Amino acid sequence: MENIQSRMTTGRGRRVTTRASHQHPKQRYMRLILPGMIVVGVLTQIPFLGTLYLSFFRWNLLRPSQGIKFIGFSNFARELSSMQFYHATLNTVVITLFTLVICLGIGMLLALLLNQPFWGRGIVRSLIITPFFVMSTVSGIIWKDIIFDPSFGLFAWAMRHIGMHPVAVAQSDPMILIILVLSWRWIPFFMLILLAGLQSFPEELHESGQLDGANGIQRFFSLVIPHLMRYMEVAIFLGLIFILQTFGTIYVTTQGGPGLASTNLSYLVYRTQVQNYHYGLASSVSVLFVVLTVVGLSFLFKNIRNRFGETLR
Amino acid sequence: MKRSKKAVIGIVAWLVAIVYFYPILVMFLNGFKTEQQAVHMPPSLVFHPTLHNYQLVFSSGVFSYLGNSLIAAIGSTIIALAIGVPAAYALAIYKPKHGDDIFFWFITTKILPSVGVIVPVYIMFRDLNMLDTLYGLSLLYIGMNTPIVVWMMRSFFTDIPYSVIESSQVDGAHGFALIWRIILPLVRPGLFATSLLCLVFSWNEFFFALNITDTHAATLPILVSSFMTSEGLFWSKLSAIGTIAVLPPVIFGWIAQKQLVRGLSMGAVKG
Repeated sequence: MENIQSRMTTGRGRRVTTRASHQHPKQRYMRLILPGMIVVGVLTQIPFLGTLYLSFFRWNLLRPSQGIKFIGFSNFARELSSMQFYHATLNTVVITLFTLVICLGIGMLLALLLNQPFWGRGIVRSLIITPFFVMSTVSGIIWKDIIFDPSFGLFAWAMRHIGMHPVAVAQSDPMILIILVLSWRWIPFFMLILLAGLQSFPEELHESGQLDGANGIQRFFSLVIPHLMRYMEVAIFLGLIFILQTFGTIYVTTQGGPGLASTNLSYLVYRTQVQNYHYGLASSVSVLFVVLTVVGLSFLFKNIRNRFGETLR
Repeated sequence: MKRSKKAVIGIVAWLVAIVYFYPILVMFLNGFKTEQQAVHMPPSLVFHPTLHNYQLVFSSGVFSYLGNSLIAAIGSTIIALAIGVPAAYALAIYKPKHGDDIFFWFITTKILPSVGVIVPVYIMFRDLNMLDTLYGLSLLYIGMNTPIVVWMMRSFFTDIPYSVIESSQVDGAHGFALIWRIILPLVRPGLFATSLLCLVFSWNEFFFALNITDTHAATLPILVSSFMTSEGLFWSKLSAIGTIAVLPPVIFGWIAQKQLVRGLSMGAVKG
């Protein structure tokens, strides 16, 4: 009760004049926040605790005689010593890193291009962001069939045109295909955020840079890039949490194959659960994936909390 | 800027846009071609369009998938807004003591991958007879969308100048009337963009749909993927289905593109 006053103050340090109400003000706003917290907690946090719990059990539907048995860390030991887990982890890292680098690079170039005035800029922007809204199963059709089909695809036609033998990209280079499809989808998103950054760049900074005799390239690296850091971090953070868990694209283009060549951690969980009915094992892969995600993100964003926290004041 | 330089930049930008959009354009055109025309290389831009594929698709039960997609997307979006908007409002306007922690917690729930919850969700749904039901699927989408609503709407609410709220209070607007008459109209563009984005995300969601639906509650992404494996050679029919599946989210995305950047960047950047 001692600081209701201060709690009811807003960011500008002025007090809200509320009518005398019988309610404790704190209850009033918690009533607005709690439903959302409860729903999200029940639908995300509790199932994850369930995953954690299941990861300590042997539960294979194909062997009902074995029943459900507590086996401690055996699932983890088994996964961590298996080739498939390493393959999947490596593939997850490769897909994510390559896609992020491509998206940042090309997204930046496109943002710089679209920051210039020219006729029909709005239409160009709309055309480029379209792939971001196309569902992963449809991007799969477009890339796997229409472009990379070994007999009827555009790519095969172009290869034959220049006298080369067409290859079945989904079999020969599955990872390249997946990174390509993902990049096509996520470049527009990076471009959008970086473009917002460029458009918020203060014009007077450019002018003062010019007065100091810095040329365009120097100005870009010493003034524009630092200003864009914020925007890059936001794009990387958001892109990362979605690209890490890529599933649909792999499902429709390569099915994780050939062999394990393009299986990432999401796909490995799916296979362990749906094709092998190993609930306990699948849960332990999920848990390891979540741990790796959190560790990876904390490593990248040591101070993500403060970064985004600053704007919360 | 010299005229010639401006013209060159315009031409380059248009070329990039056409190349980038070309795969989608080819799919869109294939939907109006015969199967023979669809596999003809290079794709011709001039042909006699046919509606035959769409007739095939509409007579082969695409409507149940379309209906499921609509119900799951619209239902989950409405409920996510109903519980997410008040939370975002309270976090932005009242600035509670642990508001930052609560807001950040909402964001961290997006870091948890879908596969991190799928095994227990599947088992729970199986035991509660919720597998292959639309309300089961919608429930998962509510969990997916509510953090996005809180995340985006909070930054739109924060943008309301405090003086507006104060002066309305002086004029005697309080509680519900204040929110309904003064505040919601101010964040209408943001609310609109947030709704569209939630619709797009649920409409396109594949992993949960694949794992917990079968025949009754299957949505469009499932139809597209099953069609691809069973009849992958029928390009023009596939393209027609694909076009139906992507048209709504693409149009919504075009409408919401400007607010999208602002809302998604957690208030860390202004778009």
